[in-house]
Amino acid sequence: MLTNYLKLAIKVLLRRKFFTFVSFFGVCFTLTVLIVATAMLDHEFSAHYPELKLDRMVGVHRARMSGPTNSRDAAAGYRVIERTVRKLEGAERITVFQLHEQVAAYQDGRKLTLWLKHADGEFWRVFDFDFVEGAPYSQVDEERAGFVAVINESTRRALFGGASALGKSIEVDGQRFRITGVVRDVPFTRIRPFSDVWVPISTMKSASYREEMIGSFMAVVLAKQKGDIPALRRQFDELVRAMPLPDPVRFTRYETALETPFESLARTMELPSPNALRGIFLLFAVLFMTLPAINLVNLNLSRILERSSEIGVRRAFGATRATLIGQFVVENVVLTLIGGVLALGLSAITLSLINGSGLIPYAQFTINFRIFLWGFVIALAFGLFSGVYPAWRMSRMSPVNALKGNA
Amino acid sequence: MIELSNVTKTYRTDKIETLALQNLNLSVGAGELVAVMGPSGCGKSTLLNLVGLLDSPSSGHISLEGERVNGQGDRYLSRLRNEKLGFIFQSFHLVSDLRVVDNVEIPLLYRAMSSKERRKAALEALERVGLSSRTGHFPGQLSGGQQQRVAIARAIVGKPKILLADEPTGNLDSQMGDEVMSILESLNDEGSTVVMVTHDARLAQKTDRVVRLFDGRQVD
Repeated sequence: MLTNYLKLAIKVLLRRKFFTFVSFFGVCFTLTVLIVATAMLDHEFSAHYPELKLDRMVGVHRARMSGPTNSRDAAAGYRVIERTVRKLEGAERITVFQLHEQVAAYQDGRKLTLWLKHADGEFWRVFDFDFVEGAPYSQVDEERAGFVAVINESTRRALFGGASALGKSIEVDGQRFRITGVVRDVPFTRIRPFSDVWVPISTMKSASYREEMIGSFMAVVLAKQKGDIPALRRQFDELVRAMPLPDPVRFTRYETALETPFESLARTMELPSPNALRGIFLLFAVLFMTLPAINLVNLNLSRILERSSEIGVRRAFGATRATLIGQFVVENVVLTLIGGVLALGLSAITLSLINGSGLIPYAQFTINFRIFLWGFVIALAFGLFSGVYPAWRMSRMSPVNALKGNA
Repeated sequence: MIELSNVTKTYRTDKIETLALQNLNLSVGAGELVAVMGPSGCGKSTLLNLVGLLDSPSSGHISLEGERVNGQGDRYLSRLRNEKLGFIFQSFHLVSDLRVVDNVEIPLLYRAMSSKERRKAALEALERVGLSSRTGHFPGQLSGGQQQRVAIARAIVGKPKILLADEPTGNLDSQMGDEVMSILESLNDEGSTVVMVTHDARLAQKTDRVVRLFDGRQVD
């Protein structure tokens, strides 16, 4: 029966080529946008290089210090991280690092603009960087304020062409560092590990960062196992509560949390929970699908007239309404799944163009199996969304009217 | 086999009420070949639609093989149509996008049959109407007579006991009409009950009985 439906579905598509083209265009465009958006979100929030142990990671990303008249909202200060995250017990590893900043670098009289990140030695053990040459600097370098640096492949190419960078030096933001290692490029979307150049925190020009409550620091805690995370969060919350504020008159409250980047985004958007953010994404996807789905519904309804004889014949020979609904929904799902396959191809091309455009530094958007599954689910949802109503309308046609062509 | 008692069918629109059939009583026995005749608009097709369970009467009762069918749900009526009834239409109503053999298989799609069994039954039905050589053609590649024979094959593929033919020769020339009629006669000889709406008195003469309608009433 399914073969018969599929054969007919394809024949019907070929019958009115212009309508089919319009339908496919709408389906493909919609699904492409959604798949590209999903791939970008996946790349932002799922485990990808170099955050491969994401399921065991929670971090401090944002903080807010407020009082009756003042409020400061940014990344956490180093002092807070020292007094809270650093004191956590039971974590496998803890790394502290600064948000990346754009700085000038000079090489052979040439000026380059690079992203610089100050990070401790544990940084290289929490994240899984691929070293194309050399090795990371260590916690000892951090403690001794060693002027050492790790750079990415693109920076090596820009600075030294194809030659090795090991042992060579680089002048960044007015300081000279010796290069100990080169890593594969990290996409800009991985906010925590991203940079062009990484150097120890202790090499910062001023030590004033050590006293900051609100600043530009983040921390990532790698739990021994996923199940330890709730206890780590509780411990962290207690430490934050117990932390004295430097100016209790101006600031009475300090808010921060040990959370995933997704939870952090939800909190930044002042949403009650990460599920609310998931709901917003879902709502956006449904709304985005609505217009092309309505278009497809209209196209499908216009095809009722063409197919009224067939509907009448099927009813006359024993098709129940439910069977007909099934047939038309299957046909529509076939159309959208074919559209989905085309959209996957278009998405791959679009993502490759985005990767190559340089709009997002070192973007590595790809269509992996998870995206493929999401694409399939989106296409299926779109097929059902746009197919059920026309199918229901078709099935309600009286067989006599259908045979007369009075749809 | 088929019993209609006091069947009335009224069509209503917002402004007009049309009485298509009025207090019709009709009994068709198993194995009968019955012609329904009358002028256009007298209710012949309405009668066939009611017997074929494609429409429901406004009042009165219809029974098929002793089973009263009024008021039954869609699933029940669909099963009856599938198992007991075969339809032949004046304009064939073949699905133009499906090959002949796929058209003939349509009634079997709604039965628990394997695709192999369906194909075998469809080929047998096509052989029965003399179209074994046209199984892979599309309806548009066949003559009117051949298309009607495909429609007959589709009607008989499920081995229904009752064949309902709505002017089956109306779109055919006399030679092709005769061919189609002879197939219906031989199906009747093999035991099928056939109810046929026709305008053609010459064909009606070949049936066991003629039911004449006028203005929605049976006149003899």
